[in-house]
Amino acid sequence: MNELGLHARPAAEFVKVASRFQAEIALGRDEMVVNGKSVLGVMTLAAECGAELVLRAEGKDAEAAIGALEALVRNRFHE
Amino acid sequence: MSASGRILTGIGVSPGVVIGPALVLEWNIPDVPNRVVARDQVEGEVARLHAAVAEVRGHLDGLRHRAERRIGAEEAKIFDAQILMLEDQEFLAGVIRLIRDNQLSAERAFEFKALEMRALWARSTSVRLRERVVDLTAVQLRVLNYLLGKPMALDVAREGPDPVVVFMRELTPGLTVQFDRDTIAGFVSEEGTRTSHAAILAHSLGIPCVMGLVGALPRVRSGTRVILDGSTGRVILDPRPEEISGTQAGERRRQAFEHEIERGIAQPAVTRDGVRVELLGNVDLPEELEAAAIHGAEGVGLLRTEFLVLGRSEMPSEDEQAAYFTRVGARFPGRPVMIRSYDLGGDKFPGPLRPPPEANPFLGWRALRVCLDRPDIFRGQIRAILRARATADVRLLLPLVTQLEEVRQTKELVAEALADLIREGRPAARELPLGVMIETPAAVVLVDALAAECDFLSVGSNDLTQYTLVVDRGNARLASRFNAIHPAVVRMLQTIAEAGRRAGKPTSVCGEMASDPLAAFLLLGLGYRVLSASPTSLPLMRWLIRRLDATGAAAAAAAAVQGTTERAVREALEQGIATYVDLRSLEGERLPPGLRETSFTA
Repeated sequence: MNELGLHARPAAEFVKVASRFQAEIALGRDEMVVNGKSVLGVMTLAAECGAELVLRAEGKDAEAAIGALEALVRNRFHE
Repeated sequence: MSASGRILTGIGVSPGVVIGPALVLEWNIPDVPNRVVARDQVEGEVARLHAAVAEVRGHLDGLRHRAERRIGAEEAKIFDAQILMLEDQEFLAGVIRLIRDNQLSAERAFEFKALEMRALWARSTSVRLRERVVDLTAVQLRVLNYLLGKPMALDVAREGPDPVVVFMRELTPGLTVQFDRDTIAGFVSEEGTRTSHAAILAHSLGIPCVMGLVGALPRVRSGTRVILDGSTGRVILDPRPEEISGTQAGERRRQAFEHEIERGIAQPAVTRDGVRVELLGNVDLPEELEAAAIHGAEGVGLLRTEFLVLGRSEMPSEDEQAAYFTRVGARFPGRPVMIRSYDLGGDKFPGPLRPPPEANPFLGWRALRVCLDRPDIFRGQIRAILRARATADVRLLLPLVTQLEEVRQTKELVAEALADLIREGRPAARELPLGVMIETPAAVVLVDALAAECDFLSVGSNDLTQYTLVVDRGNARLASRFNAIHPAVVRMLQTIAEAGRRAGKPTSVCGEMASDPLAAFLLLGLGYRVLSASPTSLPLMRWLIRRLDATGAAAAAAAAVQGTTERAVREALEQGIATYVDLRSLEGERLPPGLRETSFTA
């Protein structure tokens, strides 16, 4: 997730995808956890390059949500 | 800035004189009164909050749409981020909690929550996150202003019948997209220089602009009449009647001259003795395409591609580039468009790819060197050009060439890309004309060999002057030493023109030099028949060329080349041109600032 925090844009894309799912999505780093559907939260959390982030989804479509977000991070942010 | 009461002086970045009412746009977050509401009004405050969000949303949608139409889909994404911030459910839930739990007014609760967010971001070790505070501020301002019943102060609302002179601390994306000649007569900012994005945009749109007017905002109130002179950088507040009439008379003269120039747009640039000169436009931003077409550009002599990268977190995709190149080509059907490969380097990189700072960026890892060291980046650009060439006459132009090998390596990459595209069965051209920019002393010395290896030559006069004279053109202290009519540069220009002729390769000049009347006269005399300059310079150049005589220019150029001092060169040219035009009559006309190329090499 090396550049999620660099720009509002990648964070915005993350939140857009996350918001398509019903599952609750949480993104965590160290001791901080934010709502994956909150662009302000995601930007705050993912501000540093190379930070290790943990993604958690809970709900009916949790698996699909994780898949989609993983694919996004891999394709969009690891070019 | 020097200030003597009513008269302020900053940096003139876009020429033209206007008189109009000032409109001061402040970015100060409004004072929010500490208001507590009655228990039974709490839900009413929640409803007000929702109404404010909906209103601002509509507003941002409008700006987004406008940005997309006027500048491009990429720039419009700035507003996507703001819309997401505005509608952040987590954030709004927090605001609503504050309203319900503490009986705060909607604006008080919103401000409280925003302060919390700003404090969190301000403490962040990430510079980039701290930079995004500007988006948060934009959203916060709009919501608070709405809730407080104030106008959304970030926007240009014309109050009277006259277009306004906008005063701002700094230009913002939200304002950039509203640049519109019907609403804005001129623009003044406390920050910024000739090289800022906004200055370039103002210049290309023909909106007079003064920047670097530090401390101007507290001195001017909205509605105050001002005279703005974008050439001299002078701003007069509350002008006296004689200042207004003097300005108006000067403006009438200027307009009459401009009309004379504009009338010539449809006519070809042909000298009195029948020599045809092709006039092309230099284009930095998509927004300038229209300006180039309107001012009679017969194609694009220099299409810069750095804007595709600036402010991005990743390189633009091949498809995005191909779409842009196709669009540019379609605007000039049947006419050439020279696409300069990425002039990346220094801070002109998407954040994550940015190399460590260099001691001498002008002598550093930039331009073609970056492209050849990073074929993954270069390949996408070459493929995009080949694809666009299926429908338009786009060509590839290589900047900062110092070695013959660089041209050969590029040709190999082009051949590979071509083979790949054919294998993939994608529509693409089967060949690509390749041009070499002659803008280093090394390239001048090797010009015969380079000419043999490529299809056309293009003199980058700004860099050639800078590298030959060892003068940084961005350095204000050296400004008088940066002169393309230096005897060394003049002789190089002659060498290049002759090499082009010998090899039978078209040779053009694409620096701002071509827009200086005396230099244009020299270039004509040296045999250059293709000149490319910023779009707004083209009408004056056409007007000039139609008054000149190529034989007379050749004689003057021959004398100028003999000169060993700048003064001797200048005198030879001035003497020669005096037969055709009175240079003094052009003083203070729409001559461009002449420093535009620094926009991307700061």
